Amino acid sequence: MLMTDETKTIARGLRRRDPDLLDRLIEQYQYRLFRYLLYVTGNKDRAEDFFQETWIRVLERGHQYDGKSKFEAWLFAIARHLVIDWQRSKKAQSLDTLTDPEQDHPLQLANEKEPSPLHQVLSQESEENVQASLQRIPAIYREVLVLRFQEELQIDEMAGVLCVPLSTVKSRLYRGLEALRSQLQRGAAS
Amino acid sequence: MSANVHGRALQLIAQARVEGIAEANSNWLRAHLEECDFCAEHVRHTDRALQLLRTAAIPLPDGLASRTQFRVRLRAMELREREPQRRALWFTCAVSWAFGIASAPYVWRLFAWFGERTGVPKLVWELGFGLWWAIPAVFVAVVLLMENARREAEQDWMRQGR
Repeated sequence: MLMTDETKTIARGLRRRDPDLLDRLIEQYQYRLFRYLLYVTGNKDRAEDFFQETWIRVLERGHQYDGKSKFEAWLFAIARHLVIDWQRSKKAQSLDTLTDPEQDHPLQLANEKEPSPLHQVLSQESEENVQASLQRIPAIYREVLVLRFQEELQIDEMAGVLCVPLSTVKSRLYRGLEALRSQLQRGAAS
Repeated sequence: MSANVHGRALQLIAQARVEGIAEANSNWLRAHLEECDFCAEHVRHTDRALQLLRTAAIPLPDGLASRTQFRVRLRAMELREREPQRRALWFTCAVSWAFGIASAPYVWRLFAWFGERTGVPKLVWELGFGLWWAIPAVFVAVVLLMENARREAEQDWMRQGR
């Protein structure tokens, strides 16, 4: 009930393009949105660009948010579409992409011998080897792990963000979880 | 213990964390984990992985929120400035269409009369009448296309230098 009131208020404010509301939302969601973009793009500068562009889109398309779903799910969906549009424009040739590694497009990771931009950012503060493990997981699995276990979105909300069926979300989660667990185990053993 | 039992346990361990499991399965799993060191170890590794994922911290770039707020406010100002122009455009189009509908029978006669006077084939003056009708729609389409082109040009910075 409280969530609905809050989301309805956000929806009304976005329709009016209320600048104070937008300022508050940017403050409130900055960490979560930046973290999501960083995990998805694997690059700090790019994540920063997409962060700003996402909020511009929120301003321009705010009338499309109806307040019936969580605001963050809508926000992540906008951010994700921006990243996918950009990847399409770059033909997704050089870096970690959000394409499904089990389909036709092979996933091409950055050189694993060199620290990736994601690793460099994460390693500044984290003493665990989770960052090293995460960078070895395909972006498509990293993304679902972040949405489920960091953002704590429900599976149906994730399906909305990712525009895929529930079964696909679940299978990516199982594979991602297994990949993370084995990468961490490998990291701990070495 | 058979491989099938371990397989079921591993599947339930993942399922419990991803979407939850029924109580009967949960009880079965608990009993199995008390007896099976391999699966219990698997649970510890999985939970450790999730705990690390949940607690992994990332530093935010300096001034990210304030820079974004500034850009958003600038864009909001631009949009507000364009709003009256846009309203005027739609109002003009609406008036133009309304006038077009009201005057259509007279304009049709005018085109027919002009066609007869000048000897222009019927098809040509009928096409002329159609064009006269379509002018407001064509005008709006051109304006919208130009706006889209400008918006895409503004977003090009996103694609440059990468």
